[in-house]
Amino acid sequence: MDSEVYSFALKSALDEIRNLCPDVTGAFIFREDGEVVAGDGALSDKFMARVVDAFEEIFDKADVIGGVDGITVDGDSGKVSVSRFNDVYMVIATSKNADVNYVGTVTRVLIPTVMRLLEKICSTPNQNKTETENVVVENKELQLQLKETPVEEEEALAEAKVEEAVAVEHREPLVNQLIVENLGGLLVSSDTVRVDPQVLSQWSKLYEDIEIKEVEIETFDGKSVRCKVKPVKDSKFEGKGIIQMPEKVQLNLEIKKGELVKVKPIVE
Amino acid sequence: MTRKKRVEEASVVAEPLAVEEGLTISDLRGVLEEIKGFDGVIGYILRKSTSAAIDLKDPSKIIDFAILSSSALDAGDGVAEVFSLGKVKYVSVDGGNVRVLALIANDNKICVFMEKSADCDRILKKLLLI
Repeated sequence: MDSEVYSFALKSALDEIRNLCPDVTGAFIFREDGEVVAGDGALSDKFMARVVDAFEEIFDKADVIGGVDGITVDGDSGKVSVSRFNDVYMVIATSKNADVNYVGTVTRVLIPTVMRLLEKICSTPNQNKTETENVVVENKELQLQLKETPVEEEEALAEAKVEEAVAVEHREPLVNQLIVENLGGLLVSSDTVRVDPQVLSQWSKLYEDIEIKEVEIETFDGKSVRCKVKPVKDSKFEGKGIIQMPEKVQLNLEIKKGELVKVKPIVE
Repeated sequence: MTRKKRVEEASVVAEPLAVEEGLTISDLRGVLEEIKGFDGVIGYILRKSTSAAIDLKDPSKIIDFAILSSSALDAGDGVAEVFSLGKVKYVSVDGGNVRVLALIANDNKICVFMEKSADCDRILKKLLLI
């Protein structure tokens, strides 16, 4: 049952990737032992098995380089990328003119998110059943308590809800994953980055129209830096999930154009 | 008359061999030696049909790297055929601590090994110009 749920969820995620990225011509997920976990429905089992066979020798010989984290095969008419997510590998085939940065961003966000959710939901069948029963019993007890609650306690409960709402407002700021673009020019300040105006607007609305003046940028390696922020000027970058960074900031974070970073608004 | 003709024929036969050697091996090795000087590059393997040149910082891994480079190119051909990718421009394999870049240029199989921190894009641009 769990493996069916797991496969179905990943298949749905792959289908969604194809919907978001029309340049993706095929996608599937397999384990290192060659077992195909989920396919996007467009590729036959035989097709996927042939692809897995083609990569098998690389996996067999990759101990000398510390195992396989990723493979790219770039051809004249398209590209195939293999990316590792925990103990599975995802194969994505794209057409020649695909925006590989966009496809990479979508897959690197969607698949790990789905897998993390699945890990929490689909741990074991018996454990899940027990937890569900406990939650049902707790809910019934809570309902009984609420019916018997006098007026003073109802007021206390209402206050608690207000406090919770306040706490939610002061929770950790929303973190966005953005793609790095170069920011150059003569008058560019080395401590200022430019962010997609749509992202800035989203943050602003979330924090009751507070103007976001600074952001914290963190790489997936754990390096972080705080910078002033302004909206991107060039309209071609709008809506693309871009953060433009001066070279100095890129060097400090040891990243470069095209890589993904986590960006969090500083709300003070 | 005959002697003069023979001398001319001999010089015509000798030239193509010398020119082919100069354009392929030494030019390729020059580019690869330059690439080997880039930060993070561990070494390279260059294979022609009848010869090979290997330059790796850790000679104990020559055989493993050679086998892996061959596997990478074979896998690239296999995947390109299945997905109809056309001619393979390059294959890259990202390992846990080493990245491998493999391609075929003018019938020469080239494989460059580098640390993950090396500038792969710069190296690839250099190789694709061969």
